[in-house]
Amino acid sequence: MELVIENLKKNFEKKEVLKGIDFRFEKGKIYGLLGRNGAGKTTLFNCLNQDLELDGGTFCIHDGKNRPLEANDIGYVLSIPNVPEFLTGREFLKFFLEINQKQVKGQKTIDEYFEFMNIDSGDRDKLLKDYSHGMKNKMQMLVNIIANPNILLLDEPLTSFDVVVAEEMKEMLKSIKNDHIIIFSTHIMELALDLCDEIVVLNKGVLEEIENSGLDDQELKDKIIDTLREA
Amino acid sequence: MLNTFTISFRLKNTYKANSIIYSIKGLPILNKILPDRLYKSGGLKVFANIVSVLWEIIGTFLGKFLYVLLMLFLMATLYDTNQADTFLHIFTLLTVIGAISNTYMFNPTKDKYYAIALMNMDARKYAISNYAYSMLKVIVGFLPFTVLFGLGVDVPLWLCILMPFFVVAMKMFAIFYDIWRYKSTGVVTNENSLDKFRWIAIALLLALAYGLPLIHVVISRTLFIILLAACLPLGIYGLIQILAFQDYKKLYKKLLTPDNVYMVKNASSTDVIRKNMEKSIEYDGSATSNKEGFAYFHDLFVKRHRKLLTKSAQKQSFFLLVTIAAVLAVPRFVPEATEILNQITLTFLPYFVFIMYMLNRGTTITQAMFMNCDHSMLTYRVYRTPKVLLGVFKERLKTMISINLVPAGIIGIGLALVLFTTGGTDDPLNYLVLFVSINAMSIFFSVHYLVLYYFLQPYTISTELKSGTYKVAQVLTYLVCYFMINLRLPTIQFGIATTLFCVAYTAISLVLVYRYAPKTFKIRL
Repeated sequence: MELVIENLKKNFEKKEVLKGIDFRFEKGKIYGLLGRNGAGKTTLFNCLNQDLELDGGTFCIHDGKNRPLEANDIGYVLSIPNVPEFLTGREFLKFFLEINQKQVKGQKTIDEYFEFMNIDSGDRDKLLKDYSHGMKNKMQMLVNIIANPNILLLDEPLTSFDVVVAEEMKEMLKSIKNDHIIIFSTHIMELALDLCDEIVVLNKGVLEEIENSGLDDQELKDKIIDTLREA
Repeated sequence: MLNTFTISFRLKNTYKANSIIYSIKGLPILNKILPDRLYKSGGLKVFANIVSVLWEIIGTFLGKFLYVLLMLFLMATLYDTNQADTFLHIFTLLTVIGAISNTYMFNPTKDKYYAIALMNMDARKYAISNYAYSMLKVIVGFLPFTVLFGLGVDVPLWLCILMPFFVVAMKMFAIFYDIWRYKSTGVVTNENSLDKFRWIAIALLLALAYGLPLIHVVISRTLFIILLAACLPLGIYGLIQILAFQDYKKLYKKLLTPDNVYMVKNASSTDVIRKNMEKSIEYDGSATSNKEGFAYFHDLFVKRHRKLLTKSAQKQSFFLLVTIAAVLAVPRFVPEATEILNQITLTFLPYFVFIMYMLNRGTTITQAMFMNCDHSMLTYRVYRTPKVLLGVFKERLKTMISINLVPAGIIGIGLALVLFTTGGTDDPLNYLVLFVSINAMSIFFSVHYLVLYYFLQPYTISTELKSGTYKVAQVLTYLVCYFMINLRLPTIQFGIATTLFCVAYTAISLVLVYRYAPKTFKIRL
């Protein structure tokens, strides 16, 4: 399965933010999306999540044949966690499991999901509004993973986690990557190099893969920086 | 000092001008045509600056004009005491209230926040120069009206001229007290959240201002002149202390916290609304639900927002029951009103469109739905699938309608009862039409607000209300309802027509929601 993007364009007034993105993202890989501030990483995600209308181009899922993306195909974890504050963690999970019944593979109990995310039993029945930033982020990540979408868009998801949780999340993402296309936007190059299988750079409105064959870490870093500097 | 003032004035003017351009860009159609470059556009900037300066001038005079006219002049003519003395009496006591409640210096405004807290301007220079400017505005703004209206009630001209200086002197002395209090206790006065002693003082002074003339007691002119003579040097002393005080930076650091700045004065600020909405969530661990899926989700939303959703409908219902009971009792005590009441029920139905509009809490409820629920849920793609979205919509519609139907039912039955007890009608259909049409109006408003919300979803991810179309739709709704106030039409015809309109509107808009809302109901980016 692949996510195929062809000539995707997005303008804000006269400013061309995405100038014709062509790319094929493959299942089983974690892609590290790097770009400078304002390069359009979030805009790209918003387009793929169909929050923004495109100004040109298409994207689809190629699984033997091309088909358009459906709501269930996409999970989008925002950098600022958004959870319904009037529900408890348990209630939010219950609701999500119920509306995603068809998509959830091998459904577990709610507490098993909490265990999976290392959320303490004392926190599970608290209102989400009383969760810390990091815990809200965990919940957001969890419900997006439960829904089992083919594509997971992660917009700087690890920045608010402490080092231990960030490590847990990295392991978790590695453990689920075989069934998903994971695109992971970040500003932290070390994180991208450590976690991701491929590095793609969004620069001047175009997406470019960084070839890493035969390069050591330092050479790869230099190459990424050079690409990002070409502004 | 002058330099600081000029910079702060220009800063204030710039963001006022930008807000004007921002509002223009918020209007439907125009927002598509006008580019972001607009903020740079010279011509429009000049226009916005002119509007902003005009606003400053109007702000200087209009408030003072209304104040002197309504609170002093007209009130002074209501009593049978000497008008000039009463005018001065009310003026003196209200000036004391103004001095302790309207300080300028201790008002945590956005101007001060931007300049001092964010842009690190010299706090002392900023405070003193802007304070001097605001005092100058007090004198210039008051003078024409104290002279005009003062002479109108035969206050001598020289007193009329000195009145604005009395205001300024009193204010300066009050500031001196607040600064002294800060220096000795560290407590900073915030004029937007006055302590209870000041509130008691205000209430007392108000009572004295308007109560004493009732029993023919007013401050004599001699006493006023003595007070004036005493106050002017006190004011000058206050001014010296204001100038001598050095620690404005520390003082404003305490006063200009984001909470103070965005609270109370600017209650429409999105942060405050969001915080208030978040506070409105009630949870004691017991409220849960046996339902499933989106019905479960909505049920919990209702249970956790019981106060916000149903409490005011209950208050309305109680108030309406009392009002209707009172109206039903009127003919007993004022028999000549019977015929008038009867006529009201038969011709005043259009007025009730406005009443139903005022009673409906659609805007607040949809706002709560967004802030506490959809703001987060809309970021999940699955929440926007037609099945979930429309499922939640249906549950919400049922709740909105049922909440608003209680007060509507009371009005409907109440009106029919009033009609019956005031001599009835030849055509019994009137009873039915009154009841049905009032309830139809209530359903209409519930549908209207929810449909507008689902079609235009006006909020951004940062919970700002950004849709000009939504604002225009709200204003139009208000104007149409307001226009109805002046209509007098036979209940049967107007009632049937209204009911049919409500049914048609509901049917059409629901069809449209089911068709288009999955596309239109999303977060604004």
